Amino acid sequence: MKKLLSFITAILFSVSVFAHGPTPQKVQESVTVNVSIEKAWALVKDFGAIDKWHPAVKDIKIEKRGEDTYRILTLESGGKLKEKFRSIDDDLKKIKWEITKGKVPFTDFNAYIIVKKGANANESIIQWTARFYRTYKLNPPIPEGQDDATAKAAVQGIVDNGIAGLKKTLESK
Amino acid sequence: MNFTFLIKILIIPLLILLVTVFVISASNTKGVSFAYITNQGENTVSVVNLNDLIVEKRIDVGDSPLGIAIIDSKGLAIIGNVGSQNLSIVDLKNNEVIETIPIGTAPLGLTPHPSGEKVFITSWFKNQVIILSTKDFSISEAFNVGATPSGIAFNKKYNFIIIACRDENLVEIYDAADYSLQKKIKVGNHPYGISTSDNFIWVANVYDDTVSIINIENWEKKVIKVGLHPYNVISHIDKAYVTNAQGDNISVIDLITFKEINKIKTGETPENISVDKINDTLIVTNWGSDSITIIDLKTQELITQIKTGLQSRSFGQFIYTK
Repeated sequence: MKKLLSFITAILFSVSVFAHGPTPQKVQESVTVNVSIEKAWALVKDFGAIDKWHPAVKDIKIEKRGEDTYRILTLESGGKLKEKFRSIDDDLKKIKWEITKGKVPFTDFNAYIIVKKGANANESIIQWTARFYRTYKLNPPIPEGQDDATAKAAVQGIVDNGIAGLKKTLESK
Repeated sequence: MNFTFLIKILIIPLLILLVTVFVISASNTKGVSFAYITNQGENTVSVVNLNDLIVEKRIDVGDSPLGIAIIDSKGLAIIGNVGSQNLSIVDLKNNEVIETIPIGTAPLGLTPHPSGEKVFITSWFKNQVIILSTKDFSISEAFNVGATPSGIAFNKKYNFIIIACRDENLVEIYDAADYSLQKKIKVGNHPYGISTSDNFIWVANVYDDTVSIINIENWEKKVIKVGLHPYNVISHIDKAYVTNAQGDNISVIDLITFKEINKIKTGETPENISVDKINDTLIVTNWGSDSITIIDLKTQELITQIKTGLQSRSFGQFIYTK
């Protein structure tokens, strides 16, 4: 909960800019879930269902623009995030999306979740990978809250809470 | 003894002998290719033997290595470390770092002069191209360029240094004789990777999902739609290949029709791409899956994926042939 609160605080007080430093940051976390790969994938692949499993998401609205699909997330903090659906690969069990709008302490956020087979038929592994940059792109000194560490901590919070939420939701069904 | 019989006993064995000699000498000169992969997440370079498809070594370099230039004539690899703001000079004979050169800025793209005497390096923070001498590894010269210089390429035919200025949506062309600006060309949104063949310049426009092609003879431009977030592009013989970082594939562009004719799956978040001429393959670095993908150029199909290191990137031409 503490992590979640600090993430929400970060969202409220930070400014998003579009330029960034030269090194993309990576957060990659996995969790073993005690449900079949089919069951896990059915929940993960549903782009409009994140409010059912991510503890930071209070409400979701799906928006279609041409061939593109977006989800507008209202967060528990009151903040909003707009995310664009990128692709689904049913063979690899992989869904991809990106953040297109939102006051977050990172930029150029792209993510994917892959569901893999576990040790037995009733076990699967969910892996979430995020790629993003810090918000400040120029030479040091880097202003407080716009550095790699701040960006990474915020995304780590999103991913950690997300996979914990997936595990909880899937196993309680 | 008739003439046909003569052909049979003399000419045919002679032909067979000639073919055999040719085949043996061809295989002897084949050589071995190596891919040098910068692993930005673990500060190493993986050395992959592309004939045997095995990782032979991991070399410790500076902090957050990204760009690379291979100097064939000197048997050197120059690695750009954006975190520690220095260059690691790797001797390719024994794959060891022989020098570390501080440069006081983050090196992004690196490309060698065809002579091998110099390496041109885009300086992300200073908006310059800095020039490394491979004689004494000093930073001998520098010249100012546009904002956020990223990809860099050297055109031998025109003696041009060509760079992508990412945040300005520009390609800039400099005369390598005196570093004077020859041309600024507007391209798509967020140009990053760049390459050049004799008469063309190729640039990947990350936010537009396009590639711009510039004809150097008349400065005409073409724009081709590719996959999601194209990152880098190279041309080879009659095709161009584009890494689509968020599409997890590469686009194949036909250079006669200038159309995308195929997409080939890679690992996660493919970034950079080089051709292994010895084995007739494409090598793609996968930032997301910490690996390289090897694609057969003839069949345009996947051969294998090899695990390298955390956040594999290798921005630049990264193949060395012994």
